Amino acid sequence: MSSSAIHSNPQIAARQRWMGVLARAGATLAAYEAVLRDADYRLIRAPEIGMCLVRGRMGGSGNPFNLGEMSVTRCVVRLADGRTGYSYVAGRDKQHAELAALADAHLQGPEQQHWLSRLIEPLAAAQRAQQAAKAAETATTQVEFFTLVRGDD
Amino acid sequence: MNAANSSQWLQPAFNDPVLDAQASFRSALKALAEPGLVQPLNRALALENLQPATYALCLAFLDGDTPLWLAPRFDTPAIRANLSFHCGCPIVAERELALFALLDESELHDLAHFNNGSERYPDQSCTLLIQLDSLSGGPTLRWRGPGIKDVRSVELPLPAAFWRQRQARSAFPRGLDAFFAAGEQVIGLPRSTRVLDEISRTEEAA
Repeated sequence: MSSSAIHSNPQIAARQRWMGVLARAGATLAAYEAVLRDADYRLIRAPEIGMCLVRGRMGGSGNPFNLGEMSVTRCVVRLADGRTGYSYVAGRDKQHAELAALADAHLQGPEQQHWLSRLIEPLAAAQRAQQAAKAAETATTQVEFFTLVRGDD
Repeated sequence: MNAANSSQWLQPAFNDPVLDAQASFRSALKALAEPGLVQPLNRALALENLQPATYALCLAFLDGDTPLWLAPRFDTPAIRANLSFHCGCPIVAERELALFALLDESELHDLAHFNNGSERYPDQSCTLLIQLDSLSGGPTLRWRGPGIKDVRSVELPLPAAFWRQRQARSAFPRGLDAFFAAGEQVIGLPRSTRVLDEISRTEEAA
């Protein structure tokens, strides 16, 4: 979950962070559905499923190659006061995309701190814990290889 | 204008992106297949001074591969923002580069520099999307050509200069195809349609 490119503009960097947390939230976002939908809003772009090409670089620095395509769902909503929320999430979960876009719109408003502490921080903490648990579980299967140096010096 | 500021202009487009786009495309095909016949095109809402039929044509035709030229009247922040957002089409300032052009009646005196295709690729011409106030009320002209049995009388309110410009840019198979949109209706005028302008006038005089 390392952010490789953190934007120099702190506002944009903060938005990148919460959009990332929302995109990874998946079904856990459904727990906040009632509060997120508790606003007057309309869909500028209804949730729609599409494909997006994933590119990689061998070893992280080689020539780019096309790894394959993945499904992506995107959505744009507009709150009654004119704020626009965007979301791009992996997978085909339209509800996730709509809730993430709503959260993005709420987070751009005057109650940003409220939404950050109520929504983003718990989600981020859960994601960190989940990742740490997975890393710990993986670590138990780690195998160390030792190479015996032949004594031919 | 950057993306962060343009989102305030955004409006919803088609209600049902797939079906509405298909229905609009179908209407446009029929309009070209039967030149001069009015086809309904009511799947979109008006966007600023783009009427529903004109906006539906834009939504059905334009995508990232179709550079668009905008007449000054349509070159507003709201129209730019919505076309860029919903269609993703590049908006170009040079007429030569455009595959589609969005025109109003004040632009019809000059169709110079729009690409009318090449002998080898006549399909790469620029298609004109022309918004009018009405599709009738002009002088009665008789159209003839593919898609028309015998002749068809059409009363588009167009200046004579438009027909001269169209003639000047036409060298079959090269030429300009046009859609005329007003309200929720559209009429197609492919390059293959001949307009029997002089004949109609002499008959009216007789």
